[in-house]
Amino acid sequence: MIEVNGNDINSEKMKSELLTLNMGPQHPATHGVLRVEIKTDSEIVAEAIPHIGYLHRCFEKHAENIDYRGVIPFVDRMDYLSAMTMEWGYVLGVEKMLGTEVPRRAQYIRTIIAEMQRVASHLLFFGVYAIDLGAFSPFLYAFEEREKILRLFEEVSGARLLYNYIWIGGVWNDLSDSQLNRIKALCDHIETEIDKYHSLVGENSIFIGRTANVAVISEEMAYSYGATGATLRGSGIDWDLRKKRPYGIYDELDFDVPLGTGEKGQLGDCWDRYDVRMREMKESIKIIRQCLDGIEEGPIMGKVSKIIKVPEGEIYTRIESSRGEIGYHLISDGGKKPYRLKVKSSCFTHVSMLPDLAPGQMIADFVATIGSIDIVLGEVDR
Amino acid sequence: MSSLTPDLSTLSNKDNTSFEELTVGGWFRNVWKAVSSCFKGMAITGRYIVAVKPVTIEYPEVKEELPENSRSRLFNDVDNCIACMQCADACPVDCIYIAATRRDKEAPKIKTDDGTPIRLDLKQYTIDTALCCYCGLCTEACPTESLSHTKDFEFAQYTLSEMKYDYLAEDVRAWKHRLVK
Repeated sequence: MIEVNGNDINSEKMKSELLTLNMGPQHPATHGVLRVEIKTDSEIVAEAIPHIGYLHRCFEKHAENIDYRGVIPFVDRMDYLSAMTMEWGYVLGVEKMLGTEVPRRAQYIRTIIAEMQRVASHLLFFGVYAIDLGAFSPFLYAFEEREKILRLFEEVSGARLLYNYIWIGGVWNDLSDSQLNRIKALCDHIETEIDKYHSLVGENSIFIGRTANVAVISEEMAYSYGATGATLRGSGIDWDLRKKRPYGIYDELDFDVPLGTGEKGQLGDCWDRYDVRMREMKESIKIIRQCLDGIEEGPIMGKVSKIIKVPEGEIYTRIESSRGEIGYHLISDGGKKPYRLKVKSSCFTHVSMLPDLAPGQMIADFVATIGSIDIVLGEVDR
Repeated sequence: MSSLTPDLSTLSNKDNTSFEELTVGGWFRNVWKAVSSCFKGMAITGRYIVAVKPVTIEYPEVKEELPENSRSRLFNDVDNCIACMQCADACPVDCIYIAATRRDKEAPKIKTDDGTPIRLDLKQYTIDTALCCYCGLCTEACPTESLSHTKDFEFAQYTLSEMKYDYLAEDVRAWKHRLVK
């Protein structure tokens, strides 16, 4: 019997404890300011508790004190990586309440811009996910292309990330012919780049080893948590608002909804979610091409009075953002300001899946899990 | 040991299909798989070394020219301002402070560049740039287009109070001839 300090080491007195580890809020793998309290047993996660609220900016209350136009810059700041789609969701609700007819050209421009935003957002996901899993150069490649899109946005709207571009009744600025041609060239360029990226990362056996069969979200689990977006489609569920509840001009466009295939492992694992996003970018480019062919001449702003007064009532609009479904519940009392504006976040539901996904994973796999659900904390906390 | 240790068999990537079983042949096949897929990636990396030009702008030495629409530091041309307060109303963060008094009837009549008569004397026009969210709603509301976003993006300061611009001050007025928009 071994004796240490006069005590026997036997199974009665030996006990193991769980080590509490804080991941975040300043951890690069948590994509913003998410703090995850992890209880680990050696390298294995026994429990993970996400703590949110570090980026809470009281948006919903603040929106009650500003006029309808002034809300748009704040909507941008929720999901700062996909601000165009966030704006569109809010504007859609106000327009429906006002009964404003949006001109055809504005609809086309909105679709082009929103899909480009989706490509930019997924490119960021691709780059950051590669960084999470230890590959650095894909990040730089993806950012090079993303920067081209953001540069175009800056020329069109004036800002790189927080655009305030989609306004109630239309869009702020028109796209010139030369810009449309540039978008066309950019689409061709990015499409070839995506294939290259996929062969660089998605086909890499180390990447597959890190992501396949990790954090499998079953169909049932995705349903029960209310997952949306690529997280839901990665589990093989065919649900895309652009197809199922079309808004704007999506019902006139022809595109496919990529679904998870379970090609490299089980259906609904990290690799599937990655793959869905990569294929979604190609679909977005397909949509942009159709819009570029079909774009009509005409005004870009509908008739909206200078001071917007929304008639009394309430509305719930939802939109397929880059990360999932964003819902806006707008209640108006007939005044100049919203009475209540509640935002249904997609990333929030995805974060709430973490405690269910984490137990039994390695810590390194947990990083892959957080990356694969692609969260933006600005939207989670609002 | 204690029962706290999760059962290793629940590890999610236990039966990872992308790697073969550890037989001698399987081991070499695994190595070959990893090396060959790495070379696939290295081919792309190699192309970037040779064929792709650097895209980084070496900032302090080389300055990027921002697009025309770009929304950066606000500038108000006070000679054209009619103190209508529309910008302050439109501002979602309330960072524009304006004070004005009624212009004397005897005073000579003045007009802005686009012919709008100025009926109010501007006493204060201050924008707290530290609060500004650069949304562009104020410039859109301005009827005389005196308020505009410039392309000037280098205005970091050591203290917050220095970010408050008094557009009636002489040194700030002088920007008019420096900035082009």
